[in-house]
Amino acid sequence: MERIKEIRTRVELKEHGLENVHSTDFPGSYDGYDDTWSQEKFEKNFKVEIGRLTADELEFDMIGIDAAIANAFRRILLAEVPTMAIEKVHIYNNTSIIQDEVLAHRLGLIPIKADPRMFEYKQDAEAEPTDTDTIQFELKVKCTRNTHVKDATDPDDLYKNHKVMTSHMKWIPIGNQAQIFKEGEIRPVIDDILIAKLRPGQELDLKLFCVKGIGQDHAKFSPVATASYRLLPEITLLKPVTGKLAHKLKNCFTPGVIEIDNVNGESKARVAHPRKDTCSREVFRHDDLKDLVKLTRVRDHFIFSVESTGILPPEVLVSQAIQVLIAKVREVKRELDVYK
Amino acid sequence: MSSRPNYSNNKGNEADDIDPSKRKITVMPTEGGKEDETCKTFVFNKEDHTLGNSLRYVIMKNPDTQFCGYSIPHPSEDKINFRIQTYGKPAKDVLDKGLNDLNSICSHVLRTFETSVNDHKRRNQSTDVEMRENSVG
Amino acid sequence: METPRPEGEAPAPKQQTMIYICGECHMENEVKARDPIRCRECGYRIMYKKRTKRMIVFDAR
Repeated sequence: MERIKEIRTRVELKEHGLENVHSTDFPGSYDGYDDTWSQEKFEKNFKVEIGRLTADELEFDMIGIDAAIANAFRRILLAEVPTMAIEKVHIYNNTSIIQDEVLAHRLGLIPIKADPRMFEYKQDAEAEPTDTDTIQFELKVKCTRNTHVKDATDPDDLYKNHKVMTSHMKWIPIGNQAQIFKEGEIRPVIDDILIAKLRPGQELDLKLFCVKGIGQDHAKFSPVATASYRLLPEITLLKPVTGKLAHKLKNCFTPGVIEIDNVNGESKARVAHPRKDTCSREVFRHDDLKDLVKLTRVRDHFIFSVESTGILPPEVLVSQAIQVLIAKVREVKRELDVYK
Repeated sequence: MSSRPNYSNNKGNEADDIDPSKRKITVMPTEGGKEDETCKTFVFNKEDHTLGNSLRYVIMKNPDTQFCGYSIPHPSEDKINFRIQTYGKPAKDVLDKGLNDLNSICSHVLRTFETSVNDHKRRNQSTDVEMRENSVG
Repeated sequence: METPRPEGEAPAPKQQTMIYICGECHMENEVKARDPIRCRECGYRIMYKKRTKRMIVFDAR
């Protein structure tokens, strides 16, 4: 009975691999268990707990959901939440060392702080830019020699404008964007990304056009630096571990996971924070420790970590991702209803 | 070349007149034997594991499903073959229920997540105010 | 994928004077048609053309 409960809810980490990885809780798999989908049961057991929320990073727990759906959210965060990014570069002059195509590629990867929900997809790539589907920037930098300087070797002193940074990108409002967006609202997320280096006489004269896109098309449109999840680790001590062995056990895990208590003059190991563990399975490399510990992961407890590139706050990105999945389901349903 | 989501809806709902590659769902014809409503292979265009795996999980939780699985016929083509076999109900109904269930799951997740985030922000905002008050006073 | 699509002037400049850059001293020299190719300053005989003024479009991919 206990064994069945374990197979249903835990992924086992063994010395040479993982066991019980796949979900098996489908109707008919287990005698005596009703695994039919029940929205009430799901809503009763489902929890979201926010761990850390900053302007760029979000760590939260999703408990009571299956890997298939958690993974769908992760995939959507990476590839299907739209953002604005530079798509076309009009080069009027580039006398720098950086080749045109390399420069264009670098510009494409710069994150642009513009709320993609205020814009539409550009239906026709060749059409004229409108104020609802394009953002325009201008990058005009000319490097000159600093005249009143002697005995200087530092390029910062010798030359003016020799580093082309994202701060040099100027937003040019199209149509009525000037009324909708305030001055300084549409800009690159970070001001000090180095785009190119120049020397006196070299100049850049470019017009940059940003459109809305998704990560599936090109990675520059991905709104997250990365989005990942891990399952909650669980460590069970099968026998009490004392003395020197306890200290050896403590060193096998990430610091903070195992704590040593002083019980009756003896050191005794206790599992303190299994959540911190990175599951390296180092215990299994030691013959005197490998039978004392059971390492498992809780199959329906996901610890998500979402790092935003700064375009949208991470909690907005997760909401958007869930809405994208809802939209996908609705689109399929709409077509299915046509067939009925 | 860029695959952007298409937001223009099907006008007129004459599904049979539209080019199969533009349709979201087509049904693979059954080879030999008679037409059976309980076993169908749906071909979803412009879909991948994101919808395929999550939909498969939800449909498998339905006791009417005898078999449910999906495959990607070729990684260069953006489509999945979704197979449903039931114990008696029409496969389309099972698919419909699966989509509805997945919709409810996502809506609930969204509500719960947004509530959690707002609670967290409110809790942390109040501690910020406390800290400021303590440092001023 | 770059798509260089130049928007140039239709009539090729036959009478215009071109500015070339010397290969050694990097001075800008004005050379008219049928002029001997020789830098005004250092006498170097290899000259480079300046970059085109036409606008080129690139995909930022």
